[in-house]
Amino acid sequence: METNWAAEHLQTIRTLMERSALYRRALAPIMIFNGVAGTAAALVGRFLNLGSTRAFILFWAGVGVFAVAGSFLLVRRQALKEAEPFWSPPTRRIAQAMLPALVAGFCLAVVGLLHATSSPGYPTDQLGMLWLPLGWIILYGCAFHAAGFFMPRGMKIFGWAFILGGCALLAAGLPDGLNRLDYAYAVMGVFFGLFHLAYGVYLYFTEPRRNES
Amino acid sequence: MNPEAFLQLDRIIHEKGRLAIMSMLAASPELSFTELRDSLAMTDGNLTTHIRTLQEAGYLCVTKSFQNNRPHTTCGLTKAGKRAFTSYINLLESIIQQTKPK
Repeated sequence: METNWAAEHLQTIRTLMERSALYRRALAPIMIFNGVAGTAAALVGRFLNLGSTRAFILFWAGVGVFAVAGSFLLVRRQALKEAEPFWSPPTRRIAQAMLPALVAGFCLAVVGLLHATSSPGYPTDQLGMLWLPLGWIILYGCAFHAAGFFMPRGMKIFGWAFILGGCALLAAGLPDGLNRLDYAYAVMGVFFGLFHLAYGVYLYFTEPRRNES
Repeated sequence: MNPEAFLQLDRIIHEKGRLAIMSMLAASPELSFTELRDSLAMTDGNLTTHIRTLQEAGYLCVTKSFQNNRPHTTCGLTKAGKRAFTSYINLLESIIQQTKPK
């Protein structure tokens, strides 16, 4: 009986320590914001016919900066509302967990940009329009999966959806008869737009409201 | 089974509410009063009492500041608090080891 008592005590302590390390900001607004930004960017990019690898990378780098800045502003707003520090230990842990994969994605973009710059007459190539978006998607999934260890709700599954989806599309290659430009923007729009939007809507209806407690 | 292990358990930490506070703070360098209150579903008064007890024992340091003109209280474990918490965990583990069927 004493063993049970001590073991239960240790289990409670472990659960509390895990809960303490979890990220507690509401994720629904951040996901919806990123989903809207991603979907709109895919439509705008395709509409503007940004077809060269260089334009594609620079355009999506701009979208990425906009999305990150917007996400940080939303987190900051929540922190201010609850009179808490913005750069809290859980926020730091999430940033540190996501950083390696995001840096790898950034390096991939730089390599693509260097390649595109040195080959100006090489638009809609295989690197820019197939490997690059799928590489970004897989690395983004890795970033979210790593962050999922410090987040309470399904973030690891969300990361896996990106990783497996990206790998499956990479294995399938470019579908016959499909324009590379259409394909690249469609893939970016679906993953960085619709996936976020769907997850954000799911979280909006299921995430507990913090101030209600 | 050696009953001395039970007697050695730190009575200040052993109380359910205070153990919960210590556990949360053992995993985070610091937590705000509201984070602790919301995570542990405690009332303001209950949490304040436990924090005061832990502070008087030298296990907790409390920092009060202002953020956007609103008072902001954060708590963190002191070195003595970390030591006491580690000893408490070690003692629980030794109790489990002692009573484990061989």
